[in-house]
Amino acid sequence: MTTFLTFTILGLVLGSVYAIAASGLVLTYNTSGIFNFAHGAQAMLGTFLYWQLTYGWGWPMWLSLVVVVGVVGPAMGAILHALIMKGLRDTADVTKIVVTVAILLGMLYLSQWIWHPEEARIMEMFFGSGAKIEFAGVVIRVHEIICLVVAAAIAVGLRLLFTRSRVGVVMRGAVDDPDLLRRCGHNPDRVAALSWAMGSTLAVLAGVLITPIGGGALEANALTLLVIDAFAAAMFGRLRSIPRTFVGAMVLGMTATYVMAYFPTDWTWSGNFRVSLPMIILFVVLIVLPQDRLRGAAIRTRERYRVPTVRKAAVWGAVLVAVVFLLTLLMEETSVTTFALGMTFAIIALSLTVLTGYAGELNLAPLSFGAVATIVAFHFGVSGTGLAARLTLWGILLAVLVTAVVGGLVALPALRLRGLYLALATMAFGVFLSTMVLRDTVEHTLFGRTFSIFPNGTLIVPPLKIGPLDLRDPETFLLTATALFSLIAVGLVALRGSGYGRRLAAMKDSPAAAAMLGQNLVKLKFGVFMISAAIAGLGGVLMASASGSVAGENFAVMASLGLVMLTVVGGIGYISGALFGGLMSGVGFTIMVGTFNDLAAATPAMETIYKSLGQLAMVATALIGMGVGKNPSGTVHDIIEGYRSLRKARPVLIGGAVAEAVLYVLTLTGVIGNWWFAILSACLGMMLPVFGKMIMPEAVLSEEELARRRSTPLELEGIDEPYTEELRRRLDRELGLPSGVDRAPRVPAPRAAEEGDVHVVA
Amino acid sequence: MSLLETRGITVRFGGNTAVDDVSIGVDEGRITGLIGPNGAGKTTLFNTVTGLQKPASGRVLLDGADITRLAPARRAHLGMARTFQRLELFLSLSVRDNVRVAGDILRANTRHRVDVDKETDRVLSRTGLGDIAHLEMSDVPTGRARVVEVARALMTSPRVLLLDEPASGQTEQETEDFAGLLAGLAAEGLAICLVEHDLPLVMKLCSTIHVLDYGAVIASGTPKEIQESPEVIAAYIGTEEVTA
Amino acid sequence: MSAARQTAPLTGENAEPAPLLELAGVRAGYGPIEVLHGVDLKVGPGSVVALLGPNGGGKSTTMKVCAGLLPLTGGELRFAGRRMNGISGEDAAQLGVCSIPEGRGIFPNLTVRENLWVGTGTGAKLSAMEEAAYSRFPILGERRHQLAGSMSGGQQQMLALSRALGTDPAVLLLDELSMGLAPMIVTQMYDTVAQLVAEGLSVLVAEQFARAVLPIADTAALMLHGRVVSVGRPDEIEDQLSSSYLGG
Repeated sequence: MTTFLTFTILGLVLGSVYAIAASGLVLTYNTSGIFNFAHGAQAMLGTFLYWQLTYGWGWPMWLSLVVVVGVVGPAMGAILHALIMKGLRDTADVTKIVVTVAILLGMLYLSQWIWHPEEARIMEMFFGSGAKIEFAGVVIRVHEIICLVVAAAIAVGLRLLFTRSRVGVVMRGAVDDPDLLRRCGHNPDRVAALSWAMGSTLAVLAGVLITPIGGGALEANALTLLVIDAFAAAMFGRLRSIPRTFVGAMVLGMTATYVMAYFPTDWTWSGNFRVSLPMIILFVVLIVLPQDRLRGAAIRTRERYRVPTVRKAAVWGAVLVAVVFLLTLLMEETSVTTFALGMTFAIIALSLTVLTGYAGELNLAPLSFGAVATIVAFHFGVSGTGLAARLTLWGILLAVLVTAVVGGLVALPALRLRGLYLALATMAFGVFLSTMVLRDTVEHTLFGRTFSIFPNGTLIVPPLKIGPLDLRDPETFLLTATALFSLIAVGLVALRGSGYGRRLAAMKDSPAAAAMLGQNLVKLKFGVFMISAAIAGLGGVLMASASGSVAGENFAVMASLGLVMLTVVGGIGYISGALFGGLMSGVGFTIMVGTFNDLAAATPAMETIYKSLGQLAMVATALIGMGVGKNPSGTVHDIIEGYRSLRKARPVLIGGAVAEAVLYVLTLTGVIGNWWFAILSACLGMMLPVFGKMIMPEAVLSEEELARRRSTPLELEGIDEPYTEELRRRLDRELGLPSGVDRAPRVPAPRAAEEGDVHVVA
Repeated sequence: MSLLETRGITVRFGGNTAVDDVSIGVDEGRITGLIGPNGAGKTTLFNTVTGLQKPASGRVLLDGADITRLAPARRAHLGMARTFQRLELFLSLSVRDNVRVAGDILRANTRHRVDVDKETDRVLSRTGLGDIAHLEMSDVPTGRARVVEVARALMTSPRVLLLDEPASGQTEQETEDFAGLLAGLAAEGLAICLVEHDLPLVMKLCSTIHVLDYGAVIASGTPKEIQESPEVIAAYIGTEEVTA
Repeated sequence: MSAARQTAPLTGENAEPAPLLELAGVRAGYGPIEVLHGVDLKVGPGSVVALLGPNGGGKSTTMKVCAGLLPLTGGELRFAGRRMNGISGEDAAQLGVCSIPEGRGIFPNLTVRENLWVGTGTGAKLSAMEEAAYSRFPILGERRHQLAGSMSGGQQQMLALSRALGTDPAVLLLDELSMGLAPMIVTQMYDTVAQLVAEGLSVLVAEQFARAVLPIADTAALMLHGRVVSVGRPDEIEDQLSSSYLGG
């Protein structure tokens, strides 16, 4: 009985912290329509800051609390709203999700920059873990009482706010109808800003309270994933009702502690089970939820992609293989291995192109599907032992098949619902896999067979061998991976141009219209998710094989999120966006940070600066991700548009190609180093459209643009040419001056010219 | 018996009855008009007939079979097609692909085997969209976009076509061409139900008109009968002396 | 915003002919689709202007422009002679423009009392709002703690109109007050509006149900295809209505 009481109270304590976090999530989601994936990351940043103030700098506890919960929490929310969230109105769900994912990653990188992740940081309970009271044989710590009291106070406080204060009632009104709120004289933006400030404060509070309960060790990733627990609790109220969210949080907390208390101790996986419980409950809730009503497209999305023809895609695929071959001639073996790894990530990124770019659905854990395939390939697809061990073709095919089926099963519960739920379900699956399966390193006996899913925490995955093609050699591996990427890419382009691809586009653009034409939406989503999972699986096995050995961290959900973000930044509707995203997230970061670390080691005087630059590069990428809201078509789209305008400027294109060839030869003959080659090539690629505009404006610029350039800006009128009466009248008209008042000619607007904001004619 | 029938359809939103015990029929080879002031429940009735909205009570029959509980996609397979008041076009596809994808969907979801390319060309020329077939959807003016929605619906070889304000946003010339198209389709045997605010157009095209007001049918008849009905004039313009 | 209120008072007491609300050549629309192709309209102090015409003519869009909820792409929006292009909805409300949208002008998931509370955003007191609403519509008083969305359409419209009763606006914009309501309730609504007008309120009302509003209107404007095609005395316009609606 005492055990039961003890664990019930522990469960309530855990549940109360979940409730605090979840109510913040529900609050922001309802007032702004944005599901904040960075909710846990905000909790993490706040908690680290609290640690820094209290333990790092020795501030009094109360002062740190006031600063972190009272000032930083609300400020963080308000700033996020003002800088980013406000601009996300009328964007597609995918964009909203990716932007908050980018914020999550940015905050994570920032924290790793400031607080080195390998240092241990411990947070004590409030008033120490020794402060406790005993009641009916049950020991309760003061910290736990604080959690319960705070949660109760927040529950009561929110209730009072929403029913007894005007601002709270207005917030509820904002959920119903922001326009009507304006008609009543309220500013919905201000209401949303307030709710973001409150949501952020609740997140920070939850982070500070939960860390000591979980043992006291500060762990950035774990805190960031608090968003999943909060989400699981919020699902009990369909992301709408705060009272039901509190109930859900309590159910979650108590189930977790009962699992700990009553599961047989010889069940080695019960610890992992407890950690993955929120994900399991989440799936159960998803299955129970009723189907969404079909609606017309609420918003017209701004994303635009050009779809190439299959022939063009095939040519570009061949060009890619040729370019990669030429590059291998420049590179050392280690670089080739790294490059090959990046190419396998690009294959995984292709799974996002078809799922998100073509079908408009989101998978936030592509690497986890890669992990599923890797596990299958490791157990069933290797022949030979030691150095002679090789992956077989059948092994890979089996792995891909199993992954497709697993993908279908994971997605099925969420497919009846809106895209957000599929995104959340996949992220939950990613975390579940990381905590439950990839940590399953001990041996089980099932049906008389002894096995462990992830022996010793690492899987040794040998290279693939198909007939005479042996991928042991890094160069062969790289070229094969590149060829495979090109093949799948051409396949996807062909798919997009087929009836199937058109049906995907129809579903993405208007689910209601597609359904009314007879399309079974669940079936279509199910199929495309399986295709996507299969591609991710294939890429995953190759990635594992390129690495040689993989651990659970290789498939971590944060790595997946990085891949998703970078692919969207590149351009989710483009094959080249996948290439960019895959290379960048697979090896780009490693190279960047590695280069800066090498520089730091070489020049000790500049060490801190170089190291900071490496970290800054990571944070900067996340900043680009946050900008996706402004440019949802991706950077590749911009570059392609730039080059499209060069079509008629042949000499510029040829000149560029010649310059690049010269660079290549110089590098091959050792005149310039590889780094210079990379940097100069990148510059050339970026600048060519700009050069084109400067050198051959007639061929490059559009008619309107040329016409606009030909007319002199208002500020420069009368400077290069005689100042006429006609001109004076035009100026009067444009500036809104009453005409004929002052006949003396004046030099117009010299100030603007001095300040330099005049468009100079090229 | 009509091809498409509603029997006592009632739809409620909270305390409001949006559609109140509506029983109407749509016949093959004819255009049936559904008119009424704004908020009378026309679009809600359409949504119920096509399966986007569940009725509180009543039944929807297609060719005598009860389809009240079928999903929208299943109703489409049975020969029902519609257009939307707020255009629901596929913006990432060209005009031609917007039409063609309806054939793709039909092929993939039913046993119906059509030559999608050939059928697309036929429908495009039938609806007079040949000249803009290559355009991106976002470059098409509203008036023509309405025709694209009709063309898309025609690709599914429907037996009954429900049109929700298809002429709004069209120029006079476009409306005239459109009227010709609808009359031709009806003459070929298609059952058409037309919700439209352009009453001259409705009067010209429809053989039967139902007038919906406060969710209920207040009058049914030929255009001439409707035009002379005092109830209809009252519903549209209001009565001077209100009879409670 | 309170400063704005002082600089641009919209009281109807100036005997100057400057209309309280004026549209001059207004163009507006949604994205690439232009709905209003140059609308001219004036609402003088203490007058009632009825905006009539079939659906799709641009009445609701005009009302949204006046309420500050839809930006103009051309022309001018003036309050008391001042150019107000680009004003936000909340600022328009603060300046005394009370607008009630078509459909339901209420928050369905708030109670009756909470709806009135949100309505005090322009500076009114909740007690005054409640007093005004409950004395005019006793049924609202009985249901003050009921969710607004669970009431009948007529009661919802009463609640929406109560905002105009309690906040003492300068101009009232009414969009399709009659939509989905029984004729008797419509008459009751317009009686309320007539009373407000007698107290000096200026009203612009868009209405398809023309005969309900014509008795209280000073001026009627007929709107077709995004333009005001005819302005005149209500009885003059009434004669044109039947033909423009039914094509008879």
